Amino acid sequence: MPGRTVSRRQFLKHAGATTALLGLSEALVPQLAKALQELESGKPPVIWIQGQSCSGCSVSFLNSNYPMVAGLVLDELSVRFHPTLMAASGYKAIEAIEETARELEGRYVLVVEGPVPTKEGGEYCTFGVEKETRDLMGHTVPKDKPINEWMKELVPGAAAVIAQGNCASFGGIPGANAGVTGTTPVMDIVAKIDAKKPVINVGGCPSHPDWFVGSVLDALMWIKGKKGAPDLDRYKRLRTFFGTLIHENCERRASFDAGLFLEDWNDHSPDMKLCMFKMGCKGPVTYADCPTRRWNSGTNWCVGANAPCHGCAEPTFYEKLAPLYEPLPDVNFIGLSPAVDTLGWVAAGATAVGVGAHYLYKQLGKKPESPSEGGDE
Amino acid sequence: MARVITIDPVTRIEGHLRIDVEVEGGVVKDAWSSGTMFRGIEMLLKGKHPFDAQQVTERICGVCPLAHGTAASYNLDDALGVELPDNARIIRNLCLGANFIQSHILHFYHLAALDYVDIAAVANYEGKDRALKILKNKIVNLVETGDVYPFLPRHESEDYVSDPELATTLVGHYVEALEMRKKAHEMLTIFYGRAPSFVGTVPGGVTTGPTILNILTFKANLAELRNWINDVYIQDILTVAGFPAYAPFMAAGDSGGNYLAYGGFDEDRKGTKKFLPRGLIYDNEVMNVKEFDEEEITESVKHSWYTNQCEGLNPSEGETKPDVHKEGAYSFVKAPRYDGEPMEVGPLARMLVMKPKPLMDLVGKLGLLDKTPLKFGILPRHAARAIECKLIADEMDKWLDQLKPGEPIWDKKDIPGEAHGRGLLEAPRGALGHWIHIKGKKIEDYQCVVPTTWNASPRDKEGNRGPIERSLLGIPVPDPDNPINVVRCVRSFDPCLACAIHLVHPDHNGVKEFRVV
Repeated sequence: MPGRTVSRRQFLKHAGATTALLGLSEALVPQLAKALQELESGKPPVIWIQGQSCSGCSVSFLNSNYPMVAGLVLDELSVRFHPTLMAASGYKAIEAIEETARELEGRYVLVVEGPVPTKEGGEYCTFGVEKETRDLMGHTVPKDKPINEWMKELVPGAAAVIAQGNCASFGGIPGANAGVTGTTPVMDIVAKIDAKKPVINVGGCPSHPDWFVGSVLDALMWIKGKKGAPDLDRYKRLRTFFGTLIHENCERRASFDAGLFLEDWNDHSPDMKLCMFKMGCKGPVTYADCPTRRWNSGTNWCVGANAPCHGCAEPTFYEKLAPLYEPLPDVNFIGLSPAVDTLGWVAAGATAVGVGAHYLYKQLGKKPESPSEGGDE
Repeated sequence: MARVITIDPVTRIEGHLRIDVEVEGGVVKDAWSSGTMFRGIEMLLKGKHPFDAQQVTERICGVCPLAHGTAASYNLDDALGVELPDNARIIRNLCLGANFIQSHILHFYHLAALDYVDIAAVANYEGKDRALKILKNKIVNLVETGDVYPFLPRHESEDYVSDPELATTLVGHYVEALEMRKKAHEMLTIFYGRAPSFVGTVPGGVTTGPTILNILTFKANLAELRNWINDVYIQDILTVAGFPAYAPFMAAGDSGGNYLAYGGFDEDRKGTKKFLPRGLIYDNEVMNVKEFDEEEITESVKHSWYTNQCEGLNPSEGETKPDVHKEGAYSFVKAPRYDGEPMEVGPLARMLVMKPKPLMDLVGKLGLLDKTPLKFGILPRHAARAIECKLIADEMDKWLDQLKPGEPIWDKKDIPGEAHGRGLLEAPRGALGHWIHIKGKKIEDYQCVVPTTWNASPRDKEGNRGPIERSLLGIPVPDPDNPINVVRCVRSFDPCLACAIHLVHPDHNGVKEFRVV
């Protein structure tokens, strides 16, 4: 640890934050502290590039509360390239990437925010320059370098790849035009370059800062041999964050079971937390820990604001979950009808199907207005 | 001899923009702003349920989802004939205001400040402040381990603020500002559920009504932010603006003197009275504010990759057919013009239209009004942003007092078979417009003209440069390998290219990004 003195107490504190983040038992704290201390032989280098993104997941990362983002950027991670945070511009910024890739081969974590377009030679998304060929207003100027080319250069030397956010993971909103630009989820691009390269998907539009930071730390500890391989579901998401159904853990579940649905936003009263199902809530088909983790330092979450969950953590967001403000179609849970399938219910296969899910779909079959028939299976 | 410099990527702007400048004799002689991003948001909305427009358009940009989501709500309100309840209007103002605070703080400290402050000077700090000493030790550790990412490398400049005491204070504020902008986000989630992407507005109103508890929680957060804006943000702007080496940036970076504000933060139900007034200014005649007429907006595509039949249309009837091989074109951004003129939009435009006392006092103090011709460059743009941040934060406290717990927050309206709507407001980066055409109860057409489309626009059919291009003329670039002043100027506009290119054409639907870092 050249030049770095960090007390054991600080490490314990940090490890505490990390275990809370990963949802691990507090009993693991001393073990984790040791692991992180050993990790500190130089901060883990991170290269963070943006594909067809809106920067929303970067902004969400800035909302990280525990650990705080200043500590993450100054003390925990060595952010070699991040288009929105870094000081350098132009060729200086590009040099930072190239140096990291060269000198820290096999050690850096590659974060990709936004999916990768592959059509037209990848020119739908570029940064930095390749060679002097492009003609602009009569001048010879450098040609833009497609992000797909960057992937080919950076993936082989990455210790792990993190797909940051729903669109990087699954295509998301820009994926709706995949037929035209060739928008491709990061994991599919990586698989073509190196099928064995570990990829962790972080769902959410945007991703929750805890989901992202937790995924990065989980990958780092695994890379250093401090823990086993990340526990991922079939969509390569950490089960810790994406293993439970929102509907199962919703604070308004009792209203659902009682058939108390919000149908007019003026009905809202602080004493009556009505179920958002009829306003289009996608909580019954969305796996994420939003109800317990909440957002923005625990201030609130979508249903807490009397709004429906839009299912933004699901691989099916947005197109297959639209219209967002219409109730989920009347589906029969047990038979797994095609309608269920298109709603992303297949995710259930990868994670625990809660008993409550039975209730829901039995109820849906029998019209949700008669709640007394539901809750006893 | 003239030389063209391409800056790619230009970091610390939102989204992706590429700037080419022609430098001769140490100054910029010409400039081209070519930004594009083309995810096909509008095409994606065709045929969708009109209520989805807000959730989809707020994903145009992760820094300003509030602006797009709110514009979409007003757009839908207009199409549905909503009579917006006062509570809903005020809550929308409060949450959009919170995002102004978030965005302005983020812009000055995290996107712009590293162009002015020498972070390495922190290592020489000798002061007694405990927090700053901790910060110093952190930086020293980073330097000793040879790992000062992401603050180094950078373009070197002799005029960075390098006094150890001052630089350390400013870097300390950079760290504090991370917490403050986070707090502004937390504040708006009291009503809107989460941020950046949020769920609390819907066509017809908002989803969470005011209660004594949420009003007080919001007020407590706001009080802390107001103190910080006043004691730290405003003071830091004055410090940097007063730094002798930056005196030329008072006028350098002037965009040509045309300013446009749609106005924002409705203060009555019809939206006729707005906290940020509507109006426009030509040729820096700041005392002569003209009335705004939406019909005067046209979009030129002479130098944009679209067919010539798209030339000169109003956005409400806008057409977008791309032609990527078009001769003389260099951008996917169209060139919106008002009465044929390029217009700067954003905090400087709004403050010049509004002319609030704190701004005019500062302008007088800096002697900006004594000079002819009047010119407002890089530093006034930053100062206008800070003053606006303070004005909005102070006004928000009054808005909170106008909320009425228990009163309506939603005007439920059915979706019409066919209707047109529009929503015009001010986003942190400037005038934002959304237009919708509903047919068969579905979205037939959706159009957005965003602030950076105005600011980062390319040349129009008359050959007039867009505001950013114009602002770069005359910017000193003593060393062609070090375009620090170019990026200082570009960043002063707070460009957001994720917003600027959302255009779609039916045959191509391409997404194309260029970056200026």
